[in-house]
Amino acid sequence: MNYRINATRAIAKRKIFETLISPGFYIAISIGLFLGYFLINGFVSSIDSSGLNYSLNSVYELIARFLSGTFGETFVVKLFSEGPFLFALYVSFIPFLFYLAISSVFKFGFEKKVGAIELIAYGPADGTAYVLASFVKDFFFTVIYLLILLVFFFVSALINNLVLGPMFFYSLLLIIFLSIAFFAYGIIASILTDNAASGIALFLGIALFFIIVKMGSFAIVSGYVVSLSNVFAWIVKWFSPLFYWSLGLSAIGYGNVGLYLISMLLNILLTVALLIISHFVLKVRGVRV
Amino acid sequence: MIVTKDLVKKYGNFTAVDRVNLNIPAGEIYGFLGPNGAGKTSTIMMLLGIIPPTSGEIKLFDEVYTPSRLDLRKRIGVVPEKHPVGMWPWMTAFEYLKFFADIFSLKKPDDRIMALLAQVKLDDVAHKRISEFSRGMLQKLSIVRALLHDPDILFLDEPISGLDPIGIKQVRDLIIAENREGRTIFISSHLLSEMEKICHRVAIIFNGKLLAEDKMDALLLKLSKDREIHIDLEEIPDALVGDIKSLDFVLDVNKSKNRLVVKVPKEGDYRKAISEFLIKRNLIPLQLKEKSISLEDAFVTITQENVEMLAGVGGNK
Repeated sequence: MNYRINATRAIAKRKIFETLISPGFYIAISIGLFLGYFLINGFVSSIDSSGLNYSLNSVYELIARFLSGTFGETFVVKLFSEGPFLFALYVSFIPFLFYLAISSVFKFGFEKKVGAIELIAYGPADGTAYVLASFVKDFFFTVIYLLILLVFFFVSALINNLVLGPMFFYSLLLIIFLSIAFFAYGIIASILTDNAASGIALFLGIALFFIIVKMGSFAIVSGYVVSLSNVFAWIVKWFSPLFYWSLGLSAIGYGNVGLYLISMLLNILLTVALLIISHFVLKVRGVRV
Repeated sequence: MIVTKDLVKKYGNFTAVDRVNLNIPAGEIYGFLGPNGAGKTSTIMMLLGIIPPTSGEIKLFDEVYTPSRLDLRKRIGVVPEKHPVGMWPWMTAFEYLKFFADIFSLKKPDDRIMALLAQVKLDDVAHKRISEFSRGMLQKLSIVRALLHDPDILFLDEPISGLDPIGIKQVRDLIIAENREGRTIFISSHLLSEMEKICHRVAIIFNGKLLAEDKMDALLLKLSKDREIHIDLEEIPDALVGDIKSLDFVLDVNKSKNRLVVKVPKEGDYRKAISEFLIKRNLIPLQLKEKSISLEDAFVTITQENVEMLAGVGGNK
């Protein structure tokens, strides 16, 4: 066990450095921050004497209509009840989440193909140490990026005379646990496929599937479209990080701290289960092409 | 040191390795030979813990070895056939070795890294990016990486392929030097002439089965049908060929210019008897040497016999 932990530490260190010298990392951060800035600016220009008025900003109007149509009016009211920061947080974070997850899936496929993982596995390391290192790197950068967003939004709030509401801070934690479960699905996608392209396709397929199921459940609740069977959606939700994330969001709405903590714990359990499955799949499939 | 018992690897219905039994004592240079697709790589991958065997047992250092025994892997050094050069293009040779030293938990590895790089004449490019290295430099770097943690066993897969003659000599000298320090060395290579120079013992695998395994001399003797004695003379009298043929141990004699090629049975040493025979006739040999079968000949003989045997089995069907 100590050998695996040490190997995980050494590989994670290299992966962190590798990410820091990669232009993609800075591009993903820049896109996220730009989107955040754009949304806050749009929100500020949509405020008139009566409060928030979407029609003042054409982009905001479009966003509000789309969100209302998909998730319902109540959802939009809740989302913007504390200002633009909750929405901006998610919009700024999603590109970075997908950058981290997809680059890790790509790296696994590529390093496996060229024999780099095999080379590492000749020593006191194995495929599990490699994927754990990848997971640790993704987790590390998620926390770092959320801290960057926190500072960015805090400064934006000060400049625009707005405040970061409690929903924003609760969501920060929820995002961390939502992300780790997605990273674990990225690992599963990597090890189940034979090359980087099919790994990325599988990961995006899984993510899209959960998003569709989640949107479907919103639609069912809203009473607009019943495109998914209730039983199917009920089964799938237990495997979906989005379900536990929305459970956490609901808990914040109800002021139920216990449920909020449970939602995060459930995402941790899902992540651990996925990592354990990955370990056993790797044992069978190995790290050799 | 390395023991396998009835090692089997199957991929679906195809048996890549079929009940292979190896017993490699400590301190040996062991050559593992076989044509492409013979089961060589599968056997090595099982010994390295990269793929699990379908059945059978592997023992390393007298302990049962499974892919999860990372503690035993720490005592192994591996030089793979191809070095994944495209992987860490931003790393210098020094950073690359330091990364592996970190995986092996080596304390203060800088001096050892530089000493090993100096041994293969790469110390002056220690801070050059490995993406700029030639095939030969990468091969040497790979050997340094494998030696970094002072392993008890060194696995080398085609360690000299693609190297120039100077590189081959450097690597050969390094292998022999490492073996003299007590390291067990397991080599798989197609360059049989090189294997013949450095291996103490060799094994030949074909169609997943171990066909032969012995000490180099014993294996060559076992596989040779007969031996040739080459005699160079200033002048060869016409009657000499017939006279030598009359010797009871001589199987055949051929003459080409000033050389006589005398075929004798593989057992026994007939050089003294032939020398005495020539001297009695006032013929002084300018050179007399025994040419035994080469490893390459032995390899071709044994694999060809099995190809014919398999073809025969197929034909009988």
